[in-house]
Amino acid sequence: MKNTEPPELWTQLKEAGLADGDLPITSDTVTPWYVRTMLGIAGWIGALFLLGFVGAGFAFVMKSVAASLLVGATLCAAAAALFRAKPGSDFAAQFAFAVSLAGQALILTGLAQEWHSHFNMIATVMAAVEAALFLLMPNFLHRVWAASSGIYAAAFVFNDSGLHAYTPALLLAAFAWVWLNEFSHPRKASLLRALGYGLTLVALFNLFTTGVYGMGLMTGGRHTALALPGGALNFWIGAALTGAVLLMTVQKLLNREGVPAMTGPGRAALAAAALLALISLKAPGIGLTATILLVGYAQGNRVLAGLGILGLLAYLSHYYYSLEFTLLEKSALMACSGIALLAARLALRHWWPESGKEANHHA
Amino acid sequence: MKSTRHFLLDWAEQGRIPPENLRGSLSLTGALPSAADWRRFLDLLLLWLGTLLVACGVIFFFAYNWNDLGRFAKFALVEGMAVTALVFVWRLGLERIAGSAALLAASLFVGALLALIGQTYQTGADTFELFGAWALAILPWVLLGRFAALWMLWLALVNIAISLYYQAFGGLFGLLFSPQQSLWVLFAWNTLALALWEGLAAAGVAWLRERWAARLLATASGGLVAALALYAIFDGHRGDSLAVPAWLAWLAGAYYLYRRLMPDIYVLAGGVLSIIIVMASFLGKHMLEGRAEAGAFLFIGLTVIGLSAAGGWWLKRVASEETR
Repeated sequence: MKNTEPPELWTQLKEAGLADGDLPITSDTVTPWYVRTMLGIAGWIGALFLLGFVGAGFAFVMKSVAASLLVGATLCAAAAALFRAKPGSDFAAQFAFAVSLAGQALILTGLAQEWHSHFNMIATVMAAVEAALFLLMPNFLHRVWAASSGIYAAAFVFNDSGLHAYTPALLLAAFAWVWLNEFSHPRKASLLRALGYGLTLVALFNLFTTGVYGMGLMTGGRHTALALPGGALNFWIGAALTGAVLLMTVQKLLNREGVPAMTGPGRAALAAAALLALISLKAPGIGLTATILLVGYAQGNRVLAGLGILGLLAYLSHYYYSLEFTLLEKSALMACSGIALLAARLALRHWWPESGKEANHHA
Repeated sequence: MKSTRHFLLDWAEQGRIPPENLRGSLSLTGALPSAADWRRFLDLLLLWLGTLLVACGVIFFFAYNWNDLGRFAKFALVEGMAVTALVFVWRLGLERIAGSAALLAASLFVGALLALIGQTYQTGADTFELFGAWALAILPWVLLGRFAALWMLWLALVNIAISLYYQAFGGLFGLLFSPQQSLWVLFAWNTLALALWEGLAAAGVAWLRERWAARLLATASGGLVAALALYAIFDGHRGDSLAVPAWLAWLAGAYYLYRRLMPDIYVLAGGVLSIIIVMASFLGKHMLEGRAEAGAFLFIGLTVIGLSAAGGWWLKRVASEETR
């Protein structure tokens, strides 16, 4: 990734007629993802101790539904006020983050006490709460958290209603839509990006917490396959839909780059996507993580591409243990898929020859 | 530190670049992949994913332990695959990426072969011996291959062998080998690997410059010493008195290396996180044990928040220094 100095970049844009005026003033640095992750984890630890404080000092709050909900909502409101009052302060941001997390935990405690085992209702309300917090809190880290937990709650309801076979495809479609539109709404960029990361994290998490058939670990498999929408084929339909999202994403990217489908590169890209979609029928995680990697690369977003690669490697290990197919079937699928992909690479050289200047070199 | 993409996105968010020009601007300045970049991406994706899936297929197959297939057929299959992969390495050469991929595949097939030997001949070998033998067998290839992913595989194999060794013997001689012993050995091994890696990279070995590998080693090394420190805090008198000093020494070493000599904020961020976790555990253990007072919870919570805010501020300051 080239890193040119800002004045040169600005001159380049002005000369191409893409922007005008003086060089805008922005900060020189952006907080790297690992610093944000550290802040997020630390915020969570702080929140746990704050919850302990409430539990130890004000035990009546935890025991009463009304008090839990009220105090929880108050804490979230206080956090929102603090974020807005002191946007530049690191301590205020971390403190507000921890207070908000503690507030959300209190709200969840209240709901759980009121509705006991009606998980769907609890999840629906929490999704709404997180959606509200996503819009209210002007802090990127908090937005990523609110997006992740809200989407997870919504996915939970979806899974629990018997639609678990379709959740991966739905999450992936939303993921692709948000990220591919990142550049169309630059003013809302940080909102879209937070939403995008939330969708990515939940899509990956959902992949590992449901079996290959999509039976959620939380739902306890209450439904028999035949009673679900799509019947006994629901898994196949869901997996096919995941593959379809991958194909549509590739098509959209080809359109964006102005590459017609019938040219060499277009055919190569669509053939590779079709191959991966086919493999996804029996191993949906491969299509899903490949789409994440693809979109990350297309958007120039290394963190997203990295998540795709990690997800792929983790999925292959997870796939070993999944029970729906025997190891023999899985090994046959893997071996045949691998050979097909390597053959596709040879075909790539025929359909899309590299220019003379490129030479094979060490990765 | 701030990439072209981030600058352009910031300017667009300020409204200085019209939305319809944003994609064009990103393409023009090289923040988005060009056609040549895309071709290379597709090429590498097909190569590595294809190789990985074939290797997985073979490993899954031997894990299945298909009794219907005779002994000779199984050996012929895995040896054939390993030889085929080596032929590809020879034909393609190690300078080409495809050659490296074939070497990785061959290394994975060796593991399948050793597992098959163990299965077939019931040698009574412990699993740690399988991983140890695997690591030993592929060492020459790893040295020749000179690429990071293969080294990471090899280091992972040694780590697994060490962990399994202590699992195998810890149970029999529970008095002699505490869980900390295996952590100490793993810590020593990974820190040695990290030191060698960074040392050779600094001395000019080009292919060692890939940061993800060094960061992975630093995460393992730092994580292990922090775990040892936590054991010492929670185990009280049974704990290791060397653990916390070792952790402090690691922090000092990491600060010197990654702040002064070869800046890498990832490792510094990890260090800050380990300070927060160990501090919180230490305070929690001493202030909350036996009595759960509200004041103690509040104090520790605020301490954690304060430490993380200070850490975040410091890391951002270090990051901005790097850009100048």
